[in-house]
Amino acid sequence: MKNNIADLLKGVDGLITLPHVYIRINQLVEAPDSTMADIAKAVSQDPSFTVRMLRVANSPFYGFSSTIDTVDKAVAIIGTSQIRNLALSMSVASTFAGLPNNLVSMDNFWRHSLYCALIARILAKQARRCDPEAVFTAGLLHDIGELIIFNRLPEQAHQSLQLVLDQLDEMPVYQAERQVIGFDHAEVGGELARLWTLPPLLVECIAFHHSIERAERYPREAALVHIANSLAQMAEVDTLETEDVTPVDPLAWEIAGLDEEIIEQVIREAQAEIIETEKLFFGK
Amino acid sequence: MATPPLPRIPLALPGFEQVRRSWNDTHEAYAARLLPGEYYVTLNDECVYTTLGSCISACIRDRINGVGGMNHFMLPASTDANSWKSTNLSAATRYGNFAMEHLINVILKNGGKRQNLEAKLFGGGRIMQNMTDIGMRNIIFVRDYLKIEEIKVLSEDVGDIYPRMVAYFPATGKVRVKRLRSLHNNTIVEEESRYIKTVEKEPIKSDIELF
Repeated sequence: MKNNIADLLKGVDGLITLPHVYIRINQLVEAPDSTMADIAKAVSQDPSFTVRMLRVANSPFYGFSSTIDTVDKAVAIIGTSQIRNLALSMSVASTFAGLPNNLVSMDNFWRHSLYCALIARILAKQARRCDPEAVFTAGLLHDIGELIIFNRLPEQAHQSLQLVLDQLDEMPVYQAERQVIGFDHAEVGGELARLWTLPPLLVECIAFHHSIERAERYPREAALVHIANSLAQMAEVDTLETEDVTPVDPLAWEIAGLDEEIIEQVIREAQAEIIETEKLFFGK
Repeated sequence: MATPPLPRIPLALPGFEQVRRSWNDTHEAYAARLLPGEYYVTLNDECVYTTLGSCISACIRDRINGVGGMNHFMLPASTDANSWKSTNLSAATRYGNFAMEHLINVILKNGGKRQNLEAKLFGGGRIMQNMTDIGMRNIIFVRDYLKIEEIKVLSEDVGDIYPRMVAYFPATGKVRVKRLRSLHNNTIVEEESRYIKTVEKEPIKSDIELF
C-alpha cells in the first residue's frame, strides 16, 4: 500500500482541531482594523486560557518587572502576535490528546517538544535576529507530524523505530521513516500546519526542521529549530556528546550565526527551566 | 568511483551462525546485533552490540588473548523476590546462572583462561516509572554472580532511567554506551516483554550444564 500525506491528514480530520481561542485571536491579528482591545476581549472569552496566560505572563518565563493583572495589560506587554503564539503553545498538548498512540507516552513526547522550544528560544536570544517567542512555539510544534504517523500508521512507525534501534550508528528517525514509509514526520507536520493556515514561520520550521536548506522565508528560524531539536535530545539523555543524537547540519550553525561552543551552556539552561515550564504550559 | 570490496565476514564460532552481523563503516568492523536472550562470543576483531531497557548485558573477555563476548538477558519473575539470596536456587536464579555460564564457558572453551577474565556491565534501567524496578534485580544478580566467580568488573553503566545502546569490542575490551531517548522506551519494553514471556513459558528443563 502506498501512503500519501493527504490521505493521512484526511484520516485525522475532526480528531484534532485548532482551539477556538487561537482561531479568534488569529482572525483579529490578521484583520487590519482590529485593535488591542478586540484581542483582549477575544482572550477574555476563554476564562481557562485567560488564567493560564496570566500565570505565564507573571512567571519568570517572561520575567517582566511589573505585575500583569489584566488581560489588557498582558496583550499590551506581550504583544498581539505573541498572544496568538501563546494561545497555540498552551493548547497544543490538549489538541493532540485526540491522537493517542502506543509508541511513545504523551509526557515523554511533549517533554522533548518543550525542550526543543526552550532551547530554540534561548538560541534565538543569542542569535538576536529572530523572534524568540515565535521560535519557541515553532519548537513546541516541530514534531506534531510524528503524532499523526504514530496514530495512523502504527505498524510502519514501529518498523521505523525498530530500524533506528537496529543500527549501530546513529540513524535519525526521519531517515528511517523515509525508508519505511516514503515520507517523514516533518513533511506530515508541515502539511498539517499549511492545512491549518498557521503562520508561515511555523509552517516552515515544522516542515523543514530536518531539511533546512529548503526553507525560503525563514531559514534562520528553521535552522534554530533544527539545532534545538538535536540539543533537546542531548538535554533529555543528559549528554554533551553530539554524536549520541541526530546530527546537526553544519549549515544550520552558519545560518544561525552561532557557534557550537554554546552547546553546554544552552543545555544546562534548558535543563534548569524544564520542570517549571512544563508546569506553566502543560499544567503539570 | 568503485567502492573497495568489504573484507570477508569472519567465521562465526559454532552455535553463533544465526546471530545477525553486518559491516559497520564507522568502526571498520563487522558488528553482531544481539537480541534479548541471545549471546555471542568471538575470537575476531569484531563488534557486538545491543539495545537494553531493564535487561542486562555482561561483556566478558580474556584480557590476554582477546577472546570474549556479550550476553543479553533478564531474570524471569520469581514468586519470592529475595529467592536469589536463599540457598534453594529459584527458577530466576537458575536462568541467570544459565545465561552467565553459557557466555563464560564458551569463552573458556575457545582459549580463555578463567584467571584472565574481566567484565563490564550495562543495562538494568528503570525505563518505565510505574513499574517495579526489575532492572535493579538484574543488576544485583550479575554483580553477585561475578563476585562469586571472582571475575573482576572493570566498569559498569547500569540502572538510571535510560535505555541504552551498548557496543563492545571483545578483542580490545573497548566499549561505547549511548543513552537512548524516551521515544524508544515502548519499542524496547515490548521487545523485552516478548522475550521474557518466552522465558517464563519454557523454564530451563535440566540442571545447568557443568563444564
